[in-house]
Amino acid sequence: MEAIQSLVMNIQGLSSSGDISHLHVLLKQAQESLYAESTRLLPVLDQLDPATHSLGYLYILEACSSGSISKEQASALVLPIARFINSCVAEQIRLQPDKFISVCKRFKDHVMLLEAPLRGVAPMLTAIRKIQTSSEHLTSLHPEFLLLCLLSKSYKVGYSVLDDDIFEVDQPRDLFLYCYYGGMICIGQKRFRKALELLHNVVTSPMTSFNAIAVEAYKKHILVSLIHNWNFCTSLPKYTSSVCQRNLKNYCQPYIELAHCYVSGKIVHLEAMVDRHREKYENDNNLGLVKQVLSSQYKRNIQRLTQTYLTLSLQDIANSVQLNSAKEAEMHVLQMIEDGQIFATINQKDGMVRFLEDPEQYKTCHMIEHIDSSIQRIMALSRKLTAIDENISTDPLFLSKTGRERQRFDFDDYDSVPQKFNI
Amino acid sequence: MESLPISATNSCFKLHFAFNPFKFQKLRLFSHSLSLSLIAQVAAEGVSFQDDWPYAIHLLALIYAGDINSARFLWKSMPVAVKESNPEVIAAWKIGQKLWVRDFGGVYEAIRGYEWSQDAEGLVAAFSDLYTKKMFQLLQSAYSTISIQDTALFLGMSEDDVTTYVLQQGWVVDPASQMVTVKKQPIVTEQKLDASKLQSLTEYVFHLEH
Repeated sequence: MEAIQSLVMNIQGLSSSGDISHLHVLLKQAQESLYAESTRLLPVLDQLDPATHSLGYLYILEACSSGSISKEQASALVLPIARFINSCVAEQIRLQPDKFISVCKRFKDHVMLLEAPLRGVAPMLTAIRKIQTSSEHLTSLHPEFLLLCLLSKSYKVGYSVLDDDIFEVDQPRDLFLYCYYGGMICIGQKRFRKALELLHNVVTSPMTSFNAIAVEAYKKHILVSLIHNWNFCTSLPKYTSSVCQRNLKNYCQPYIELAHCYVSGKIVHLEAMVDRHREKYENDNNLGLVKQVLSSQYKRNIQRLTQTYLTLSLQDIANSVQLNSAKEAEMHVLQMIEDGQIFATINQKDGMVRFLEDPEQYKTCHMIEHIDSSIQRIMALSRKLTAIDENISTDPLFLSKTGRERQRFDFDDYDSVPQKFNI
Repeated sequence: MESLPISATNSCFKLHFAFNPFKFQKLRLFSHSLSLSLIAQVAAEGVSFQDDWPYAIHLLALIYAGDINSARFLWKSMPVAVKESNPEVIAAWKIGQKLWVRDFGGVYEAIRGYEWSQDAEGLVAAFSDLYTKKMFQLLQSAYSTISIQDTALFLGMSEDDVTTYVLQQGWVVDPASQMVTVKKQPIVTEQKLDASKLQSLTEYVFHLEH
């Protein structure tokens, strides 16, 4: 314990004199003894200030929270960790990002153990902002944060981080989980387009071994695609990893069948299909989404009518999409108009619906601004690609590999003088 | 905000909601960006806030802001005791439920079906106005003719009141058939362009050529 006391003195002294690198060396050396004393360290924290002594605080906190922990210990640790995350200095903790991440992950485990995921949401978001090098950097804490948001039903807070474009990932697993949980958050917020994009990323990311996250993401992708696009394309894009190409569909058979049935447009068959596989959907926690698929079938069928008819009576709509009454058909049409899914006017006097063309003429200021921002985004992306391309083509590892291959196939490149001219 | 004790946070929260109805625009912003993260921040301090949290006002604010998803999740994350024992919270969620299943007439029933407390009254009235306006827009875009009975249902008024209301808006009422002919508003859109567009066009061409 004396060693610990002198370490505390060092932390206090060196932090205030600004000699953090020396302190870092000392802390690394003291690692072993910290772990040995881990159970008695908690009171020591009172002598330190999480802001000025961030690095030292981090080392001690990490030792405290290592090993298995009881519910009482967890509840004693949650508050100091939350306060530490709030007040620690980013420059100091970035010297030991792994330790900081491990403390935050334990923190997540603690709040889960206490069954209070909401307590972790705000600190975890602060932690992400402090540890990430830029908003394009996906840290290992992102998936943990989204999981806490899902469990505490703070979807809106979770949704706020999904706007950042990600270009930098530490671990592939982080990306898979981030996109999967992110997809679930978007589903909850009814942002189906964004959900599709995220889930699609999970399925098509490069992977060497098959994983369960991709399977679950693919199931949700099928359902969301039916709800949002009223359609599903069963073939995977070319850039999908070969393990996914080979295995994915075998694990999602009930979902693929559902998609096939959906496209045929018969609500009765779809209902029968849902009944047949109900247990599987329920076990996958997807029954809610499956029900949304069911109700979107009516909308899809109504939307298809607009492609054939200019006017149609409400009764005919009810008959052809198998709704019970003209009134029910009217309510469906009204909802679809409200959501901008079709363009139509209802004439209650004659009981008719007139289908119209999309009134958007793509010449308003608003539309121009929309197109502008899309072009700006694409330009930024293309600049990014060029930068990455340049980066790779100057990478010695890449050059030595391609250089060797080029020797075999393409010795023109080694000619210094052109030998013939075609004029 | 983090350092505020629960009581202070809470009263600041209530204060935000209690101000006069003309500033509801501000409230929309407030409830969108702050309230959910506020609840998370209070929770992070480990204070048991759930007994004091103004859930009914919070729900109503989200409903007013049109963020029915967040209202739904707030309801789901409430402690069971609140859900069962606080009649105003239950009444507020009733409105949310009707909105969720798009039971247009049911929304007004839910609004009228409860004696709102002083804190909530202004907010509910403001929401009711906003909702009527929204429904009027919907009817205008979706119908060419509609029965007086249905119009009254959608706008939450009596048939007599609704007749005067739509006449003011220039719609035509046919008393014999009890039908209203909807007058469409011409859509006015701005189409003026300024010089900055030319600048960005130059940038695009430059980008494409390099």
